[in-house]
Amino acid sequence: MELRDFSTFQLDAIREVGNIGTGNAATALSKLLDRTVDMDVPKAELVSIYELGEHYGSPETVVAAVFVRSEGEFPCNLIFILEEHEAGMLVDLLLLQQMGSVMPELPDEIRDSALSELGNIVLSSFLNAINLLMGTTHMISVPGVAHDMLGSILDVVVSIYGQMGDTALIVNTSLMVSGADAQLSGKVIMIPDPGSLETLLGKLRVL
Amino acid sequence: MDAAHHVGMADIIVITAPATLVTLGLGSCIGLVLFDTIGKVAGMAHIMLPESHCSAGAQVDKPGKFADTAVPALINEVCKQGALRSRLKAKMAGGAQMFALAGTQSEFLAVGARNIKETTEMLRKHSISLVASDTGGNRGRSVEFSTVTWMLAVKTLGKGKVDI
Repeated sequence: MELRDFSTFQLDAIREVGNIGTGNAATALSKLLDRTVDMDVPKAELVSIYELGEHYGSPETVVAAVFVRSEGEFPCNLIFILEEHEAGMLVDLLLLQQMGSVMPELPDEIRDSALSELGNIVLSSFLNAINLLMGTTHMISVPGVAHDMLGSILDVVVSIYGQMGDTALIVNTSLMVSGADAQLSGKVIMIPDPGSLETLLGKLRVL
Repeated sequence: MDAAHHVGMADIIVITAPATLVTLGLGSCIGLVLFDTIGKVAGMAHIMLPESHCSAGAQVDKPGKFADTAVPALINEVCKQGALRSRLKAKMAGGAQMFALAGTQSEFLAVGARNIKETTEMLRKHSISLVASDTGGNRGRSVEFSTVTWMLAVKTLGKGKVDI
């Protein structure tokens, strides 16, 4: 099945899966931080792999990203991505919640470890919900963290979809956390393996 | 300020001096420059993947996308603009692995290394000497090639700008 043959109805079904995943991810993040977390209505989009950097912002925007890969009946890849300063704010919120204060001298490795765990919880919650919905089992990788330019991070989509064509199917949504004095938001991006889309549509009975 | 030409994903763009070629946010992709300082011509390809032959579609409509098709196509384009094949030299940057997952051997995460290998191999096959490169690692790069200095400026987060 070619990506361009996907009907609006099928894309809507995939978006609904994203909705269920995001709902669970928002709940988990809210519990972890003890704060209100809002979510956007997710989008299931067919994106040209030649325009990835521009599609999600400016290619040189400095971002922090947590990446996990899920294996099983529905193999897919997820990225939790925030602008660098917002990632810093999110880590501060977590440390405040868990430790009562943010130690200014905390080494970067510890902060990175906190970010990695935050991303892991958000993305695992997302995956748990959708696999529960589909009745599939899955195994999630250890999270990988990167701080870099948005364009270089999104090259990972190219390596997943580039060999088979020019278009990638991406589900994306935002989580908004109300902070002490500012609002911060992070994007959850789901990139299903190309070969897994039929499994997904079959499970949803919209194939 | 010379005219800056933006080289998007899978693009091949050729310029004549004085001008610059720019690509922002290379991750596993590669920015390959071929240039002829006497003919005053330079071209850049934004290579995304190593090989075209395992691609589903039979014909490649964007030769810049794959290392094995980008190198011959780029040679062709710069020579059309007045470069002499025997004078061509190459510089390249990119091919990083942005994420590493402990305990998993995910082939797609290491596509940068395969891009470097295939591009280097193709240059060797076409007898073009690679005079400078900044490849691999786990950091993204923005690159800018000047046909005034014939230098490739490589910008990495935290490391600043280095001319190669």
